[in-house]
Amino acid sequence: MASSIQSDTSLWLHNKLGTSNDSWTGGSIVSQLNPDILKKIRNCFQDLQPQVKLKLLLSFLHIGRRNLEQWRSGLEAILEVGLHDSEPWVSMLADLMRTFPSTGQLNTEVSAPDTNRKIYMDLLSELRKTLKKHGDQTDSVLPLECHFLNKNAFISVVGHQPQPSKHFSLKRKPKAAALKADLMQRSQEAANKVKS
Amino acid sequence: IKLISDAGFQGEITSISTAAQQIEVFSRILKTSVTTYLNSTPETLNKNLSECSAMVCHGQHTYVYAQVLLSVLATEQKGGHVIRRLQQEVQKEAMKSNHDVTPITMALMAGFQHTRAAQCLSSMLSKDALNPADIVQLHKLYNSSDPPPVELLRIPQFLELLIDSLFKPGSKLNQEHKSKYIFLLAYASSVCDTYSVKKGGRKSINKDEVKGTMQALEKVHSICSNTKGNMELLAELETLYKCIKFAVVSLGVIKWVENIVCEPNYFSLNSDYCPIHLALLDEVVSNHPLLHSTVLQLYTTLFEGSYGEMEILAALEIKKMLVDRLVNLLSRGYVLPVVKYMAQCWQNTDTDISLIRYFVTEVLETIAPPYSQEFVSLFLPLVENDEITGSMRVDMDSDPVSEFIVHCKATHGTNPAA
Repeated sequence: MASSIQSDTSLWLHNKLGTSNDSWTGGSIVSQLNPDILKKIRNCFQDLQPQVKLKLLLSFLHIGRRNLEQWRSGLEAILEVGLHDSEPWVSMLADLMRTFPSTGQLNTEVSAPDTNRKIYMDLLSELRKTLKKHGDQTDSVLPLECHFLNKNAFISVVGHQPQPSKHFSLKRKPKAAALKADLMQRSQEAANKVKS
Repeated sequence: IKLISDAGFQGEITSISTAAQQIEVFSRILKTSVTTYLNSTPETLNKNLSECSAMVCHGQHTYVYAQVLLSVLATEQKGGHVIRRLQQEVQKEAMKSNHDVTPITMALMAGFQHTRAAQCLSSMLSKDALNPADIVQLHKLYNSSDPPPVELLRIPQFLELLIDSLFKPGSKLNQEHKSKYIFLLAYASSVCDTYSVKKGGRKSINKDEVKGTMQALEKVHSICSNTKGNMELLAELETLYKCIKFAVVSLGVIKWVENIVCEPNYFSLNSDYCPIHLALLDEVVSNHPLLHSTVLQLYTTLFEGSYGEMEILAALEIKKMLVDRLVNLLSRGYVLPVVKYMAQCWQNTDTDISLIRYFVTEVLETIAPPYSQEFVSLFLPLVENDEITGSMRVDMDSDPVSEFIVHCKATHGTNPAA
């Protein structure tokens, strides 16, 4: 009996999540989850296809705050099984999401299994090195919100930026300056006309 | 695949779907791609950004993995903000493919902290649209004595939605709550807040500039939204020039101008040498170096327009006026991208040569030595070309063209272009 329930659940998950080749999921499955189903999923999780496992874990991201709190133990139990999965992607994702049910945040400290931790830490430290070496070169590449900021707010976010290099000196003002002067004068006249 | 990767030939693995199957191989490719991005020159930046983004967005699991990793790197003192930009571009790429990554974005930023503000933002970002109920709530939260951190509001997608709703002609803004939209935009662009969501806690907050920024936004929003005739617009010029000093107002003005000047017939209905709308962009350019690339993009779109409904000579006059705008951009410090663009127009041979000649003439009349090596190597080929400047040379050495060439040969070696 128990095994038939399990195979029902895994078949259901497979039909829901195993049909496409990419791992992006909108989380529509979330509306059908509840503590009972989570328990069943936990029991059959190990035997699911890797793709289905990944999509199931990713769908958790779409669970609202209240349900996250109510289902926390069920979700954590599944993540715990996922953490020991033989497919490195599944165990990595389970590790990254380990803190999600309790804090709503993703975990940035990958710890298990050892092979994953090493892949993650190596990548992190090599990119850190590259960043130290090249940080200056790409200094003009700023986060997009910087375009919106007043000067003081800008400095509070990214600090003082280096002066851009000079390519020539100017011997006369561009035509735009004369245009501005002309427009300002006409603006005065227009303002007077609009008033009168 | 793993064998190829182990042997160090990441570059040979072209199919991302194959590479993404193994976390180890994917990690190496991610490393190569991020490193390439960090080594970008201004010309290769966009290409490297979009290649890296496409790779990260291959699957949702690769997206989560890479974004977690990048969020750690983004806190680095040195270069952290370069990584943050990458995170934002990756996010944009995912949205382009209609993936809703808002839950991941919020899980990386706030988690269960600042729940109410985060929920309001989530619901709007997920739908990619603002709504009055959430705006009212956010307004209340940020108006309180202990507001949530400003960095939550500084999500580029949210700021762009605010700009759109205030400055895009025809957008339906809830009049009753208009001031709340303006407040949030002003708050996001002006407050200095030391609150760090990651660390939790605030040392100081400075809201001194909120009021002034709000007033500037209000004034310009009211000028832009009450579709005025040229005369009325002209009368408001001084106000507009003053308010453009705020970057956020400038972004609104760019959005507004872009929509107006890209309407068909805009130029054929305009009789001035330079329409006021474009003159406003000149002012944006003088005030905000960070917005130069956005303005250049608009200029190039206009410059490449066909204006088929107009007579050839009239269309040429418009393009000449646009060259004046480009020269202004160049004289305000956006040098290499402008020269590169014109050189490219010349190489593609689809631009009337008289326009290239006009550009060279105007630049030569504006600039004086010392010249940078980079500038000379880009600009000299245009100046030396007979087809462009042949008719401009008089006697040896006494015209601007010959003077420039002689100067470059003397100070920058015989032929820097070679």
